[in-house]
Amino acid sequence: MNHKSYNPFETAQAQFDNVAEQLNLDTATRDLLRNPLREYHFSIPVRMEDGTVKVFRGFRVQHNDARGPCKGGIRFHPQETIDTVRALSMWMTWKCSVVDIPLGGGKGGVICDPHNLSDHEQERLCRGWVRQLAKNVGPLSDVPAPDVMTNPQHMLWMLDEFEAIHGNRYPGFITGKPVGMGGSLGRTEATGYGLIYTVREALKEMNIKPQDTIASVQGFGNVAQYAIQLYTRMGGKVICVSCWDQHDQTSYTFRKMSGVNLDELLKITDRFGGINKEKAKELGYEILPGTAWIEQDVDILLPCALENQVNAGNVGKISPRVKLMAEGANGPTTIEADKVLFERGVFVIPDFLANAGGVTCSYFEQVQCNMNYFWEKDEVLGKLDLKMTSAFLAVSELARRKKIYMRDAAYMIAIDRVAKAAKSRGWV
Amino acid sequence: MPGGLNHTSLPEFKREFFDSTERITVMGSGSLGGKAHGLAFIHDFTRNRFEHSRFPRFSVSIPVMTVIATDYFDQFMQMNDLRELALSDASDAYIANAFQRASLPPELTGDLRALIATINTPLAIRSSSLLEDAMFEPFAGIYATKMIPNNQPDADSRFRKLTEAVKFVWASTFFKAAKEYIAATEHRTEDEKMAVIIQEVVGQRHGDRFYPHLSGVARSFNYYPTGNAKAEDGVVHLALGLGKTIVDGGLDWFFSPAFPRAKPPVASSQALLKMTQTRFWAVNMGKPPEYDPTNEEEYLVEGTLTDADYDDTLTHLVSTYDAASDRLNPGADYPGPKALTFAPILDYEVLPLNEVLKSLIKLGVEALGTDVEIEFAVTLTETPRLAAQFGFLQVRPMVVSHVQVDIPDEELTGPDTLTATHSVLGNGIVDTIRDVIYVDPIVFDKKDTRAIATEIERLNLNMVQSRTPYVLIGFGRWGSSDPWLGIPVNWSQIAGAKVILECTLPEMYVDLSQGSHFFHNLISFQVSYFSIPHAGEFRVDWDWLAAQECVESMQFVRHVRLARPLTVKVDGRQGKGVILK
Repeated sequence: MNHKSYNPFETAQAQFDNVAEQLNLDTATRDLLRNPLREYHFSIPVRMEDGTVKVFRGFRVQHNDARGPCKGGIRFHPQETIDTVRALSMWMTWKCSVVDIPLGGGKGGVICDPHNLSDHEQERLCRGWVRQLAKNVGPLSDVPAPDVMTNPQHMLWMLDEFEAIHGNRYPGFITGKPVGMGGSLGRTEATGYGLIYTVREALKEMNIKPQDTIASVQGFGNVAQYAIQLYTRMGGKVICVSCWDQHDQTSYTFRKMSGVNLDELLKITDRFGGINKEKAKELGYEILPGTAWIEQDVDILLPCALENQVNAGNVGKISPRVKLMAEGANGPTTIEADKVLFERGVFVIPDFLANAGGVTCSYFEQVQCNMNYFWEKDEVLGKLDLKMTSAFLAVSELARRKKIYMRDAAYMIAIDRVAKAAKSRGWV
Repeated sequence: MPGGLNHTSLPEFKREFFDSTERITVMGSGSLGGKAHGLAFIHDFTRNRFEHSRFPRFSVSIPVMTVIATDYFDQFMQMNDLRELALSDASDAYIANAFQRASLPPELTGDLRALIATINTPLAIRSSSLLEDAMFEPFAGIYATKMIPNNQPDADSRFRKLTEAVKFVWASTFFKAAKEYIAATEHRTEDEKMAVIIQEVVGQRHGDRFYPHLSGVARSFNYYPTGNAKAEDGVVHLALGLGKTIVDGGLDWFFSPAFPRAKPPVASSQALLKMTQTRFWAVNMGKPPEYDPTNEEEYLVEGTLTDADYDDTLTHLVSTYDAASDRLNPGADYPGPKALTFAPILDYEVLPLNEVLKSLIKLGVEALGTDVEIEFAVTLTETPRLAAQFGFLQVRPMVVSHVQVDIPDEELTGPDTLTATHSVLGNGIVDTIRDVIYVDPIVFDKKDTRAIATEIERLNLNMVQSRTPYVLIGFGRWGSSDPWLGIPVNWSQIAGAKVILECTLPEMYVDLSQGSHFFHNLISFQVSYFSIPHAGEFRVDWDWLAAQECVESMQFVRHVRLARPLTVKVDGRQGKGVILK
């Protein structure tokens, strides 16, 4: 395993501890909820194209399933760590709880770089992952989904392997499938749109019209793309996006003060969300260092990439103009940076609320699969809007009433629900 | 529309639709369209200028509504790439289905979902286009209105029905009739944008039917005054149930607000019985019909007087015929056939409806500075006293020409007279028309009316494209939905006509519509409408027409061009009209 100085699981536990104190949870409940219920660590041997066998390390963490089957993505990343996955699984529990869907939290990962794997190798890796876990996941226990550098095709291979092992059709086993193969309409847009639904509601509370705001976005993957799409349609303007450049092994920020053009950027973006630097230059974009996104003189920041991106080292560079930050990524803000944002009065929509659109739509996909009846996109997105809006309003109302930070309010609602579920089941 | 209201002064839609104190809200930031603008205007003046205290048993307001502004229409068209198809020659069904398959703008779905989650009473989804705003171009009945019962127990189904209805109204912007209509004006279909009104339906549920006790249209100017009534007294049309009866030109009860007790001039009570409404429209709240989201009348159902009697909605609306005395007695307490005369309200004034209407008409004329037509619906309640919820549905300006036209009697029957009438809609003199399109009386047979409509449509299109006004002559009720009673055209198929003659023949002897099917368009486009029964005082000089230069002769219809223009004179005050060769 890799070790980094920043430990996201410790961050997640610290956040939990803080709220558990406010909720006055008993020791048993705290002990139960601050650690995952189950973890699986395993090896996946994969025969490569050149005939050799490479062994990949994978895991699946099931944090808590008191409210329903575990739910969470599988990420492929070369710097994946077990602590990251633990943290993410815990955040999934809170995420499902805060939007009030009947699911628990889980997360999985494989330490690998899919950029360096052929399609066949990726397929074998996916099938190998399922073979290792087939007894411990399923539509009634743990429902995986895509995450960083995994996509619908990966999900389909995994589904196929699961069904081959179990001998039946289980479309509800995994979500994020392509539409027409058990996927839900609206899923592609869901996380990004969900993020902007919460931004919309926050702006309403702040009495600001979207068309009077500009934003800076970190990341240009699925979440960022659809967030930019909806935000722009609401009248907002995005002046820069940042993303990882696989070739240069660094990130860049692409800025256009008149507003980025999503369609033209998409034409020069690879399937992992990397924008072609040279073509962007030709289109008139300024190419800035990857960290420049956070320094822009904007109203809204949307971190939509990885964890630990807003930290003690760069929080001071955030423009005084920034009024709102909505966390499209998981854990993008460290505790230290959070304190600074709080003191500055920046309205922060915490990650597990802001990016809950994805898991909400995954839940919808699961429901549709289990019924074997699929809804129209309007129905999916309409329900998504209502769910996200209700969740935001509940958190905002609690934050206002108790005069506490949004993140704390969201945690309080989420943890309280899970604690009550665990108590009702007689676990504690 | 005059008045201080504009889009920015209307509140944004909030998701507590019916709990909100706002009666009109807006989703989106585009235009509201003409109809919504008109309703916003009415809302303002009924709130501020109508004397509510004078009529304590009347609650006068516009039904609660929200408007989906035109920016959502634009987004819908753009994100689904519908423009090319919409502007093509594709059939209405094809366009409607393409719109049904398309997705709504995601910003809209949440608001619609929230709206429908809290309401389960019938809704009217109404068009409100940009071009509906113009005083001279009413676009009445051109675009769709869809009523939905909205009574399914689950929000998912209700949401689906609502979105289907919204998409259908949007699609109607590009239906054939709308395109042809627009082609006859100075506008282009490409420039049209559609806002959509979602409005509560005025009425009550009675078993499987939902409808108001009465709907009506009140005009400040009456083109067909009878008895002692004057044109300036105006006219009111009332019908049981939804106003579709009146809009479609069906049987209704009409009276002058100056003489509400005066009956239409008929020979006997039996005759009066035959000319009253016997069927009415309601929203179907019962067994779901055959699924067809592209059918405007999907959720409408027709009832009879027996049904209304069963629903107990006739008490204050009918008279009862007494055969022994050959009289119609106001009220429903007596045994006998019922007639919708609204006598308890108009004669006995169980409710001061006429006074309310007079007041509203007067306010409307003052506010708009011109003659007006208002549409309304009324629901009656009896706890504890009889009271009424008066829903104001629309106000439209009427273009009334006040030009003085004198027609000496000798002109009506002279050798230079093509035809004349004592029953004409319109006013003024037109002396520039050289083209006449007429149904050949020699070959006319009422079994061919549909084919005749097709031929007229084609000739009309030629005339519209060449911007040549013409006189149109045919038999039976123009625009009748029953092909046995007249030629079943819609307005866009005859929109190029400047003068329309509605005649009868022995084999097509029907009560003439007097232009009721196209009333708004006739008034707004200032088209004169002559009613000429064959057994009446005047004739059409068919021989003279047959001798004129023929431009095109089809199987049933001829187009002739005259050497000199006709002179069409209409005295709207006297109801007298003549066409001189």
